[in-house]
Amino acid sequence: MSQVKRVLAMLYWLPAAVLLTDLYTVKQVSGRSMQPTLNPDSSLLWRDVGLFDRVSIYTQRYNRGDIVALKSPYDAKRELVKRIIAVEGDIVRTLAPNPEAEVRVPKNHIWVEGDAFHSQDSNTFGPVPLGLVDSRLVFLVWPIWRLGFPGLLRPNTHPRVSPTPTQ
Amino acid sequence: MPSRLFNRLQVFRSKPWSYQVKFLGFKTLQLANLLGALHLLSYVGTISPMSGPSMLPTLANEGEVVIENRWSHRWNPDSLRRGDLVTLRSPLDRTRIICKRVIGLPGDVICVDPTGQKAPSTEHVVVPRGHMWIIGDNAAYSRDSRDYGPVPMGLIQGRLFARIWPIREFTIFRNPTTYLDY
Repeated sequence: MSQVKRVLAMLYWLPAAVLLTDLYTVKQVSGRSMQPTLNPDSSLLWRDVGLFDRVSIYTQRYNRGDIVALKSPYDAKRELVKRIIAVEGDIVRTLAPNPEAEVRVPKNHIWVEGDAFHSQDSNTFGPVPLGLVDSRLVFLVWPIWRLGFPGLLRPNTHPRVSPTPTQ
Repeated sequence: MPSRLFNRLQVFRSKPWSYQVKFLGFKTLQLANLLGALHLLSYVGTISPMSGPSMLPTLANEGEVVIENRWSHRWNPDSLRRGDLVTLRSPLDRTRIICKRVIGLPGDVICVDPTGQKAPSTEHVVVPRGHMWIIGDNAAYSRDSRDYGPVPMGLIQGRLFARIWPIREFTIFRNPTTYLDY
């Protein structure tokens, strides 16, 4: 009887838990496109797990250098973890697969790239609408020896980006 | 009734402060839980007011309320068909939710604007993987794929299921597409 009660209590508090995971959520990073910042072990024996923050996307507190999780423009079911290289108005000198040499990031879009070479990023699919961005990585929680802030303290600048003068 | 409430307040104030803090904390949690329950419902469907001229004559300019199906695009994204009405985050402004009709799915060849107003009428586009081509029913007053090109399906919020207000105009939106064999 007490077990039934316990289950009922958990069910009762489920909505609050879901609400909480909609503000802050824990995700596992798979793939190697963010090496060496995330998943530095190439054999992928362990994968990094991070705490992702959705509030700062809602309040538009993100900047160049932040790591974000976003829905892939090519497949809505897949989620990518990339670094914001440029925000709206910036001019980016692109890399290999992109047909254009320079791109100005349109309004309400960002330019994302992986830290590693082999990465499917804005050089393939172009600037990404902000509506696809889900959350921002704030903290690494697993593995235990990597607990902490994962290479977030990157400078606000990038050698291939000329920022808008207003910012 | 007010005197009863007042009595309860008096009883509450006579308790030790540790009880008061616990009681208020629990009530706050319960309130958060209630909000969470409402939020959970929005995973399945929402009731949303619609406004704007871009979907005339399917949806009126203002004063209409629809039920949005928020579940099936999460559960089965491949069930999206040409002719469906979708709500999505505007690619031009992430805080705005817009409603358009799906015209093209990945791989389709689309004539950007047959009237030749927004693009030369000979210009054709292949919809990329994971994208769709959306157009408002009121082509003259709609900013859509003709302006910003194909949009990622990840922007979809939901699909329109039915109009519930005004009651006389109650409609379940059916997919009007007919395919021609040739």
